[in-house]
Amino acid sequence: MTPQPIYLEEKLKEVQESGRLAYRSKSMPTWCPGCGYFSIVDGLPGALNDLGIAPKDAVVVSGIGCSSRFPFFVNTYGFHTLHGRVLPVATGIKTANDALTVIAVGGDGDGFAIGGGHVPHAARRNVDLTYLLFDNGIYGLTKGQTSPTSSVGFKTPTSPYENPDQPLNPLLMVLTYGATWVGQAYAGRPQQLETMIKQAIAHRGFSYLHILSPCVTFDKTDRTYVRLGDLVRDLPANHDKGDLGAALHLAMDTATPALGVFYETQRPTLADALDGLVEKAGGSVGQKRRTA
Amino acid sequence: MKTDIQIAICGSAGEGTIAAGDILRNALAGAGYRVISFDAYPAEIRGFGKCVARLRVTTEQAYSLKEKSDVLVCLNDEHGIPHVGEVRDFGAVIYEAKSIVHLAEGSHVSGHIRPAQVPYPLAIRELSERATGAIRSRNMVVLGYIAGLFHLAKEPFEKIINTKFKGKGKAAEDNHKAFDAGYETGAATFKLDDVNFGPPGKGLQAVMLNGNAAVAKGCLDAGIDNFFGYPITPATTIMERLAVEMPKRGKRLLQTEDEIAAISTTIGAGYTGARSATATSGPGLALMSEMLGLGIMAEVPSVVFVSQRGGPSTGIPTKTEQSDLNIAIYGGHGDAPRIVLAPTNVEGCYRCAGKAFEMAERYQTPVIVLLDLYLSNRYETVVMPAKPPFEPNCDKPVPKGDLGAGYKRFGFTEDDVSPRALPGMAGGMHVVTGLEHNELGRVNEQPEMHEAMSRKRHDKLKAALQHPDFTHYKRFGDEGRVDVGILAWGSTVGECLEVMFLAHLEGIACAVMKVVMLSPFPTEAVAAFMDDCDAVLVPELNYQGQFAHLIQAETGRPVHRYNRVTGTPMRVEDIMAQVRRLAKTATRKAA
Repeated sequence: MTPQPIYLEEKLKEVQESGRLAYRSKSMPTWCPGCGYFSIVDGLPGALNDLGIAPKDAVVVSGIGCSSRFPFFVNTYGFHTLHGRVLPVATGIKTANDALTVIAVGGDGDGFAIGGGHVPHAARRNVDLTYLLFDNGIYGLTKGQTSPTSSVGFKTPTSPYENPDQPLNPLLMVLTYGATWVGQAYAGRPQQLETMIKQAIAHRGFSYLHILSPCVTFDKTDRTYVRLGDLVRDLPANHDKGDLGAALHLAMDTATPALGVFYETQRPTLADALDGLVEKAGGSVGQKRRTA
Repeated sequence: MKTDIQIAICGSAGEGTIAAGDILRNALAGAGYRVISFDAYPAEIRGFGKCVARLRVTTEQAYSLKEKSDVLVCLNDEHGIPHVGEVRDFGAVIYEAKSIVHLAEGSHVSGHIRPAQVPYPLAIRELSERATGAIRSRNMVVLGYIAGLFHLAKEPFEKIINTKFKGKGKAAEDNHKAFDAGYETGAATFKLDDVNFGPPGKGLQAVMLNGNAAVAKGCLDAGIDNFFGYPITPATTIMERLAVEMPKRGKRLLQTEDEIAAISTTIGAGYTGARSATATSGPGLALMSEMLGLGIMAEVPSVVFVSQRGGPSTGIPTKTEQSDLNIAIYGGHGDAPRIVLAPTNVEGCYRCAGKAFEMAERYQTPVIVLLDLYLSNRYETVVMPAKPPFEPNCDKPVPKGDLGAGYKRFGFTEDDVSPRALPGMAGGMHVVTGLEHNELGRVNEQPEMHEAMSRKRHDKLKAALQHPDFTHYKRFGDEGRVDVGILAWGSTVGECLEVMFLAHLEGIACAVMKVVMLSPFPTEAVAAFMDDCDAVLVPELNYQGQFAHLIQAETGRPVHRYNRVTGTPMRVEDIMAQVRRLAKTATRKAA
């Protein structure tokens, strides 16, 4: 693919006219230059804008970590919570107010180390929210320690000889936990990433988007743009996203990560289930909303 | 004639002991008496653990159970024998007359009854078998016998049996038959004791609730929107009751994966403006501490009910204790001020529950309501207010219309509470965070900002000490100078009031102050009370004297501690001994 030339004035005009700037905060991201997360903070506004979700109706919830600073960089409602607790807080928000679009963001350590106990439950309950998992295989905010998705042999200040632990496979886990939309994207392919964020938000139910991203500051050897760019591949043309078995096989291939929607299905959300209880109890459905 | 009768029913788990106590207290409350009741049972569901149901039936307000029972029912000998001693002279002991198991010498109740006690041997098993063909209804036989012996109206009992066994087929019929068999026998028995029920009070329209049920009722009456919880003794029944009632009102309740998720979801829901709560015990509160800190930092309302049990660690899950005062007030890292309320009786559980939602919203902070197993499971007759005494919305109003770019979620105001934009409000977009932040909610670690925001978070709570229509503390008993003043909190207040009445009978000038709002602490009022006391006694069910520490830290004055960790409620006689001792010292000083 030949790179297309970009003319700044034209690009600026295009962005200004698109309406997506309304979703960007005045606070500039605090990430290191070259961080993969910049494509995510560009992608979410585009996705929300395309879906016609107003900034006032979206809540971005995060845990703790580099990625979890995300809510400060978008102009929506935001809740920067505690390390590992993004999913239960997001569940509480969505349960209290169905009208909100809830986007949970966080890193690999936040979601699968300290917060690992919450992922199965958000998935099995099919809470109608989108979980964007920024996986750089490292603890960046604390200056580069091993994470639960770091490769065996990876050297960091807390594993100076080498990381002795097997990495987790979040995609495999989330598929078996019962998530109803599972996909993988790569920060080095921002346009595809934006499209997938849009699809994940549009999905009714728990959608999990695994985003591979390099940490340019603390990982110079393992997950660099060069290495990841070589490894990632497109989904096989014949992949059936309704086939859980096929999705599990895709997820098992960690050597050459596939990019795209692995799995998609429909079943009642947590809100549907809770409304069902209201009907069984003889009450009338309709959460009291104290919002304006 | 005043009535003041305490009945104890004693048996093994699975013999229907607790069920009999439940029917008895409901029937007597239905008849118009005041009842206060507390059951003791083992941690095992089935097996041979001892169960004791105790209820005190009165026409005047009572505040705790009595030292001595007037009537004891022994459903089996082994568990009954240790309790014969608690029956007063000329009181009644009802026990199995025709045991079919061989009992060694000394292992039958009859051998332990003192001459001054009145024995009522009853063929409990046989009556049950003759009436229903099974021995299962023994508990109904003794209930009928009590009703017959003490000339109680049958109708309230029949009503409760009908309600309790509705839709359970033959069980209702069998229970009625067994009750009637017991009743006839009781009515035909020559009564030798001096336990006499007077007529019930006129027009007492009370309902029978335990502390946890009262909490649930308070939540519902305050318009709770969401409840999130994880089962733990002794708080679980709050969630169980809400699980039945909330869906009927279109509200949502969710059992979460752990206590951390329970408080996280509660705070998430609170952030949207919903009234939300969770309930737990000490171990759960320990897990919640970090998230409560976020609630304080991000100024998000939430309500946490905590029913204390024996600790630390897993401790004694089915026994009562007041040892979580410290974690409730101070738990968590950083300067983390919060509101802590500790109701002292069942009605207080209702009021504190409802008011907790008001305060959480008004002061934008977590509110902890501290009960204990004794209060959670203690039944009392409560006269409910005609309409819920709670404000449906206490949020500080935000300006109407688009809030625009200048909106300051954490803006400094006169009362240090900032108007809160809720997700969905136009122009109110902002981020709340556990990081120190400026008025806009943006991260700010400047020294001046951290000091100003710390002050805001602390000072905004001061107004809670004047929160309207709430009893923050209350003084009972003698006015002015007293020999002994008792400072008490939580479930122990009932026993302290009974002690005060005894002290008055013995000529000791005595007053009690109960403190319901533990944080922020009503220092001035407590210090003023202490000024009036020659000696201050602080009885509490913990080893360290956590409330005593708090009083001393807040007022800088010494107190006399009295601490017990027996897992059971404080004994009136034990506190009384302390009062007598202190009164003597006080008199010597005066002389």
